[in-house]
Order: sequence, then C-alpha cells, then structure tokens
Amino acid sequence: MAEVDNRTQLDWDALEVGETFEKFEYVLTQEMIDTYRKGVMDPEAGFPTIAHKVDVRQYNAKYTDDGSVNARCAFHCYNSPVAGKRLTVTAWIADKYLRRGKNYIVTEAVSVDEDGRLIDRVITHELKQPSEVGKKWGG
Amino acid sequence: MGRVIRSYEEGDEITTLVKELTQEAINLFEGSAGNTGPSQFTDEHAAKEVLGTEGTVASGRMSLTFAIEMMRRHFGADVFNHTGTVDLRFLRPVRPGDTITFTGKVSGSTKEANGARVSVDIEAKNQRGDTTGVGQGTAIVPNAFLPPED
Repeated sequence: MAEVDNRTQLDWDALEVGETFEKFEYVLTQEMIDTYRKGVMDPEAGFPTIAHKVDVRQYNAKYTDDGSVNARCAFHCYNSPVAGKRLTVTAWIADKYLRRGKNYIVTEAVSVDEDGRLIDRVITHELKQPSEVGKKWGG
Repeated sequence: MGRVIRSYEEGDEITTLVKELTQEAINLFEGSAGNTGPSQFTDEHAAKEVLGTEGTVASGRMSLTFAIEMMRRHFGADVFNHTGTVDLRFLRPVRPGDTITFTGKVSGSTKEANGARVSVDIEAKNQRGDTTGVGQGTAIVPNAFLPPED
C-alpha cells in the first residue's frame, strides 16, 4: 500500500520568512563519516554534516515543490562533529527573494550535539524552478 | 618550539586544490547521509526530469566541501574547523568526469578580539576553464600561536 503524502504544495508567495521547522535529530555514525570522506576524497574532512542537507530536510518534509537547484551555500565551522553523538538541527526559512523572474528560498540551520557543542551553521539559497537551469546549462 | 607569528598579505595566493569528480564519488557523498533514492545527482532519468539535463550533476555542496578543504589545508584544522566559513555561489554544473581546480587569494583582513579575520576570494574552474563557482572564505587566525609538537 502506497504511503500517503501529507506534504503541502509550496505557495512561494505565502511562505513566511522566519518559519521554523520541527527539530530534527539523528546520530552521526562512523560509517557516515567514512563514506563521506571517501566521496570527497579527503580522509581528514571534518564536517560530514554538509552532505546531510539538514537545512532543507525539514522543509522537504513539510512542503512539496517542483524540485530545486542549489544556487549558493554558506557554511560556518564551529566544532567537528564526533561519531556516536546525537545531533539536533534547528532549521528555518531565513529569506526568500525574486531575481530575474525566478523564485528563491533561503534556508538556514544550526546543528548542536548532545553535549551542547555548536557544530555548524549552513545557509542555502535554492532556486525553485530547477528546469530553468537545464535550459541555461544546455542539457 | 619557538613562537610562530603568521601574517597574511592581500594578494597572497593559497595552495590550489584539484578534484576529479566521478559518479562513484557523487554516489558516496549522497549516500553518506542515507540518501539512496534516485535524484538529479545519482540518476540520469531524475536529472532529465528535474533539471532537463542529459546527465547527472554533482551537488553544489560537494564544491562547498572542496573549498572548505582548501581553506582548512591552508589555515590548519585547529584554526579553520573552529572559525572558518565558506560562502560559495554555483555558476555552472559540475558533472562526473570534470576536473575542478579551486584557487584562493587573500583579499584582506580585519582585527578580531582573538586575532585577525583573514578573507580569501575563492574561484572554482573546470578543465575547460569555465568558472563553476565563486565566493569567499574566512578564518580567524590567532595573532600568535604554538604549532603542535611533531
């Protein structure tokens, strides 16, 4: 039996800047870290959380849309996360803007581990008409 | 070990970082967070459907990660992993098979309570010389520090 999708279709005009999503928690495993480091070809890479896309996770859990393309991303390093620790992510809509007729959403998230250590902050600008970039990129 | 004073001058170039992207690397990056379903990063059909492109693309976050690696290697993990930032705009897609070269040049520094915030202009180019990403990184470098013992 197919799962029911209870997500809301994104209404960009109605989306409120400042909307804060439910906290998201997960345990960072050594396997996650090792896989990430292989993928980025850097055995010392300290922030596997980048790949977890936690800033848009709760947005994607609540809203459905036509997909997105990452237009800009900022990352602030505070403390490398430690394997086995539970991370808590708080994410919110930081901004939205219209540029050259295209809609963008800015999400921001902060991760903290179970000991209260601040891990990182990520701010992402997503273009919400992804097919537009395909035209620009030439297929 | 003696006291080491580091200074950064505007225009100083930081060590270049080169990465060769493969579909396997992209799959590992996406899979590291448990994202195993098809996406524009891992599946050609999904890429065609979502982006209208003929093949997959790498997440911009992979380029972000590489820019962070370049900065960390230059400033050291002790500094960068606690004070570093990178803000990158993605201008062109990075695809499997691309070789991306990241370069950085010090653009200035400002005083902070515990050192100096050094700013670096970052650029990423593919093997054809096309710019795929531009942005800025920063790190707060202590005015003086003792490097770790060997």
